[in-house]
Amino acid sequence: MWLYLLKRLVLAITIIVIAVTLLFLMIRAVPGDPAAVLLGPRATPEMKAQLHEQMGLDKPFVAQIATFFGGLLHGDLGFDVFSQRPVAEIVFEQLPYTIELILVSILWAVVIAVPLGCYSAIRRNSVIDQVTGVLSVATIAIPSFVMAVYALLIFAVTLRWLPAVGAGNGFWDGLTYLILPAFAIGIGWVGYISRLVRASMLEILGENHIRMARSFGISEWRIVARYALPLAILPTVTILGVGIAWLLSSAVFIEVVFARPGIGALIVNAVNTRNYPIVMGVVLVTTFLIVSATTLSDLVNAFLDPRTREKL
Amino acid sequence: MKHAIGNMSRRSFLKTGAVLGGGVVAGGMPLSQAIWAAEGKVLVARSSGDIVKLDPGFYVGQGDTDVMSCIYSKLTRYKPGSEWGWELEAAEKIEQVDPTHVRFRLKKGIKFTGGHGELTARDVKFSFERVIKHNSPVKGDWGPLDRVEIEDDLTGVIVLKTPYVPLWNVVLPYGVGHIVSEDAVMKATKDGGDFGLKPPAFSGPYVIADFKPGQFLLMTRNAEWSGPKPGFDEIRLLLIDDVKAAERAYRAGDVDITTISSDSLATLKVAPPADTKIENFPSLYYNWLGMNVDHPKLKDINVRKAIQWAINVPQILDAAYGGQAVVATGAVAPGLIGHREKALVPPEGDLAKAKEFLEKAGVSDLTLSIDCLNTSTFKTIAETVQAQLSQIGITVEINLQDSGSFWTTGMESEGERWKALQLYVQQFYSQADPHTATWWAKQEQVGVWNWERFRSQRFDELSEKGFTVSDPGERAKIYYEMQDLMEESGAYRFLSNVSWPLMYRTTKIEEAATRPDGIPLYLDFKPVST
Repeated sequence: MWLYLLKRLVLAITIIVIAVTLLFLMIRAVPGDPAAVLLGPRATPEMKAQLHEQMGLDKPFVAQIATFFGGLLHGDLGFDVFSQRPVAEIVFEQLPYTIELILVSILWAVVIAVPLGCYSAIRRNSVIDQVTGVLSVATIAIPSFVMAVYALLIFAVTLRWLPAVGAGNGFWDGLTYLILPAFAIGIGWVGYISRLVRASMLEILGENHIRMARSFGISEWRIVARYALPLAILPTVTILGVGIAWLLSSAVFIEVVFARPGIGALIVNAVNTRNYPIVMGVVLVTTFLIVSATTLSDLVNAFLDPRTREKL
Repeated sequence: MKHAIGNMSRRSFLKTGAVLGGGVVAGGMPLSQAIWAAEGKVLVARSSGDIVKLDPGFYVGQGDTDVMSCIYSKLTRYKPGSEWGWELEAAEKIEQVDPTHVRFRLKKGIKFTGGHGELTARDVKFSFERVIKHNSPVKGDWGPLDRVEIEDDLTGVIVLKTPYVPLWNVVLPYGVGHIVSEDAVMKATKDGGDFGLKPPAFSGPYVIADFKPGQFLLMTRNAEWSGPKPGFDEIRLLLIDDVKAAERAYRAGDVDITTISSDSLATLKVAPPADTKIENFPSLYYNWLGMNVDHPKLKDINVRKAIQWAINVPQILDAAYGGQAVVATGAVAPGLIGHREKALVPPEGDLAKAKEFLEKAGVSDLTLSIDCLNTSTFKTIAETVQAQLSQIGITVEINLQDSGSFWTTGMESEGERWKALQLYVQQFYSQADPHTATWWAKQEQVGVWNWERFRSQRFDELSEKGFTVSDPGERAKIYYEMQDLMEESGAYRFLSNVSWPLMYRTTKIEEAATRPDGIPLYLDFKPVST
């Protein structure tokens, strides 16, 4: 187990180094100058040179990347010259909004989708199974930003039940601001997870140990909850681990539609303004998130399935 | 139980109700608004731009100055209304002693918060000179400022190296004109430099009570303010980047006032939301089709003239702005000194004349590229230009670019891309002085912001003269001629002074005071009396 964790840590560091280096190369291959964008038409050549120097853009590429990784070793993500604030402060100010959006979205989707998938598997070809099947495909097919716009128009603009923009202030207020964005992101996952759980549940329910449990006269619901679900949920856990990247992409659109703060909105602005330190900081943090999520899903898999545990 | 209910504030009740009911509407008020509700008169507005700096010496954009005008004092301020002008704010008296000296006398009793004392001439000197001393990106705003001389606690003289008429229009009543406390800034920054987003002291009618960058900024009344009280107790500025999202937020009741997009304006005029007033202002934005005169394909002025005459501006504005934008007559916006009544080339152009110019140039099968930002408006403009130029046999290829890439296209310092630049759609924003709408077309700006690479000695001379002539009539003539020179070069086809429509809720706001270009002046807003 410890060896496994060590391996994952090394892998995570390698992935982060590769991702960040690639990004460094990519953003410099694209035309654009942060000084010109940030300072606008009032930028004189002297001011541009001054900003370049402050951002370290006057140094050779290798020196720039070495400075970045050097800073990273001391927990320093860099400094945003323009807002005069540390990049870490800016990123970690926005990150909680994206994380809470992703967590709430996936949480409500799992809470609805897993029982729905189980029920569809147990009552295969029932009306509910068929209706769930059709709705699942429909919700998967509708992009989250389209869902977001319509949800917003119905519940915020027409009915005025929920706020249209922002993230609120405080816990309870923040929750009301989360409902629509989380609904828009999560609805597609409800369809996806319920289909996934249904399929793996059908497979597990046909296995020998389940048949044996039935022969002992154990109730069907107990079989499902105690013996089948822990195994049937494994693909879902794996998908959720990988799906964090997808969820982050959805969050970018949703944050724009709902004018929510978050790293999605932050990175879009940073890329447009060629604010390299912010772009690097956000990518570093999101890469770390994705690597952490996949590791966590592996560990959850190991916890649920003794066969996987033995392989670690 | 009764006691418990009695102790529950309306706000707590709404919050609890919101969570439990998940959609209960309190007293007809949208839930979102109910949760935000506070006692007193609260204005919720969409910020006109991102709030990046709250240090006037280093301000970035309109979002910053909207807030600054509420939390700091300045010598003069813009008058609300449909005509550009200024009035006294912190100054009791201000006068031009001679072309390079401006004497001011401050009002007594304007206090800085946090025990930083009264606003004095010393603070004015510190605030103005630090912009130059710290080589601020906005030091250009101060033009030829030399120093500020202190005569006594409340009196000082602004000394300029050379005459500078824009001082009255874009310096004193705007960004760098805001006054900060020397004592507070020195304590906060040690060297008097940029304090970013954390004002060390306030001197205006409001103070910042809460600020979450990228989200909202809340201003409440300054308890130490002794001047005239503004109408609203609280102003909440919501930072909504996307204008369409802002429109939805307005419809949902989340904001009381917002700008709206030009393409939504026509629809909203026909079917406005309930209790809403819509006003449309000519903005200080101006856009045009630029032509790189150094490009071999565009070197011949006849080719450029052919393009100028082939462009039908109203058609473009119909397509890109739903017909709601004002046809530009030049770079100087309506209402400003130097705004031309009409352009040299009529807005509709003339295809026959365009063909004549092309024949004169002896060019056929011409293929050109047009660069523009990748927003829907600019893309539509480029597509319409493409269609219009096809009528005279010019094929146009469109290059859409993101803002980071586009804004360096014509810069010599950024590689060789400027050499390939042919046509492009550009949009700039000026301040309330014609100088700010024209300076970038000088020869020294070729390859910097003058991407057309237009060169005119006469233009440069007039530009310098424009700083010194204070008579409005004479000054206007200077800018008429400058814009004529730009147009005669064939390098520019002015398209639009982009409109700036606003909508606001008449149940909350009795009068939304603005500058002539629609920028809100929150201190002059009048709430509906209850």
